[in-house]
Amino acid sequence: MGQQRRYKQLESTAQLKKLITRYYALSRYHRLWGRPLKRPLAWVTSGAPVELLRAFKIHSVYPEQYGALCSTSKATLGLCQEAEAAGYSPDLCSYATSNIGSVLKADIAPMKGLPKPDLVVACNNICGTVLKWYEALARHFQVPLIVIDTPFLTGDMTDHAKEYVLEQFKDLISQMEKLTGRNFNPGELGKISDLSNEAVGLWKEIRGLCRAKPSPLNGPDLFIHMAPIVVLRGTREAADYYRLLKDEVKKRVEREESALEEEKIRLVWDNIAIWSNMFKFFKMFSERGACFVTDTYTGGWSMEIAPGDPLESLAATYTEVFLNRSPEFRAKQIIDLIKEFKADGFVMHSNRSCKPYSLVQEVIRKRVMQETGVPGLVVEADMADPRAFAEEPIRNRVQAFLETLSD
Amino acid sequence: MAKFYLGVDIGSLTTKIVLINDAAEIVGRATGRSGYSGKEIAMRLAAGLLENNGLKTSEVVATVATGYGRVTFPADREISEITCQARGIAHLFNRARTVIDIGGQDSKVIKLLPGGKVADFAMNDKCAAGTGRFLEVMAGALEVKVEELGDLAARAGESCPISSICTVFAESEIISHISAGKSKPDIVAGVCDSVAARVTSMTARTGLEQEVVFTGGVARNNGVVNALARHLGCTLSVPPEPEITAALGAALSALGFSKN
Ligand code: SF4
Repeated sequence: MGQQRRYKQLESTAQLKKLITRYYALSRYHRLWGRPLKRPLAWVTSGAPVELLRAFKIHSVYPEQYGALCSTSKATLGLCQEAEAAGYSPDLCSYATSNIGSVLKADIAPMKGLPKPDLVVACNNICGTVLKWYEALARHFQVPLIVIDTPFLTGDMTDHAKEYVLEQFKDLISQMEKLTGRNFNPGELGKISDLSNEAVGLWKEIRGLCRAKPSPLNGPDLFIHMAPIVVLRGTREAADYYRLLKDEVKKRVEREESALEEEKIRLVWDNIAIWSNMFKFFKMFSERGACFVTDTYTGGWSMEIAPGDPLESLAATYTEVFLNRSPEFRAKQIIDLIKEFKADGFVMHSNRSCKPYSLVQEVIRKRVMQETGVPGLVVEADMADPRAFAEEPIRNRVQAFLETLSD
Repeated sequence: MAKFYLGVDIGSLTTKIVLINDAAEIVGRATGRSGYSGKEIAMRLAAGLLENNGLKTSEVVATVATGYGRVTFPADREISEITCQARGIAHLFNRARTVIDIGGQDSKVIKLLPGGKVADFAMNDKCAAGTGRFLEVMAGALEVKVEELGDLAARAGESCPISSICTVFAESEIISHISAGKSKPDIVAGVCDSVAARVTSMTARTGLEQEVVFTGGVARNNGVVNALARHLGCTLSVPPEPEITAALGAALSALGFSKN
């Protein structure tokens, strides 16, 4: 071991950069085109039913995705400190604090912060934090706050839950009709949902290609290339991008080309990436030949919208998001991934920020180890805040874990 | 020419080295404060050990380094202390299934499979709670030596609860116990209980299976040994030299890979 292993970048990355740069440029100059075209700008949570907003030609931006971007640009610490100085607790989710910091002090934020919203939309299918976070945003910007409450699913989806979410979607529709002056067009929603499904289907296929041994992609590839499925889901550009990416990944598989120089250990990742130190962290694994062949996080965006009434299907899809489900469901998810992808172990990032994701991990870890017989490691850090990343202790655990898998 | 194998464990507080022969018998050991450069200390300890045993450097055929300073030392291999600890303990106690190690700045629980392979482990290494450093700070606040803690705890009537896990806050809790007139033995017992409670909750993650071996410098402290046995509800085996077992494991690894 010890020799440095280079990160093999995909060629599609150039196209990805173009796509995301264009998206952020459009967002940034929204004030120039949004009003004349009567297309309001919304700040939305990652699990919001964006297809519905797109049906009203609303332009959505994602504070969480922007939070990841702040972290990879090393801006999170300053932004969090800004919010903490204003009284926000350092125990809050660092996406929330860094985003609030970027609102309070735009000049230290990448791209001078996100453009001012006309409305904010929070869906609590991912966590409860977003409710208070978006309340604070709505208060600050003096804009309407739309909340979609998806009941936590202790088991399978229930008719009652679906009905409840559907009713809220209907409310949302009448609010959006008023706000945008457009009428709701179910045909348009159907088309957008189809585009979503196209991108989601391709993303699913790409993820599936990593069943190959050696895997064509490693964790960082999945994390980098997930951006369009989050922010451009339901657009033609996203679907086109994933077609390009799929072709490239497929070629890697055909050539039996590995994401690493030599794949020796196959792992499953659980939780959000450690954006602040992503490459440094994953290198601790790749330099020992350990590849993250799949994960639970980027898989969160591989849920198709079922055929049938688009509104009803959307209600089901957005309520069945994995973070809104029981520990049993999530344990089974990891067990299935380990079996399907023939993984030798799994690594859980106990993410200081994200309580719904991290709190039940120890329970899940035990269950998965019992059921599959493969070992699981927990590393403590934070997806965005670099203060929670203790490099040496983490390296120590990672090395010990990989040693148990190597002998 | 006789062959020897060196294990070097450069910890955050102390550096330990162990020399073994072909038959895996310990021929020498040495420990010293890691200080500013654990590597320098380890080199000096190794040179002294060889000299005392009348050995030449060339007779040491393989070296393995472990512990926080492992990458700094010019060894043939560096192996994490989890793996080394497991190896050392499996060698000394072949029925060991759980190792509890409390070192200077971290504490860990290792679950072993029969044969000494690591099945699972849990570590507390982000803060000093439940570690040797924690005990040092508390001993400092009580103006006693760390070595005296065991005897003091044995004389306790009722242990004073220490609820903070933060070392700094726990120190101020001790100061308020002192000003409330609590006796030193009672406060020391509280300190030992606090370490034991912290480590016990960590064992819940890996699961507790007997035989349980307690290692690391803190295992020399009877106050903590007794408190831990009480919290875990089982007896603990303590190696005669509990701080050198990871270095021993490192030496055994050196022997293992040079034979293959
Ligand atoms: S708490 Fe978790 S799910 Fe909620 S916004 Fe933060 S990272 Fe996302």
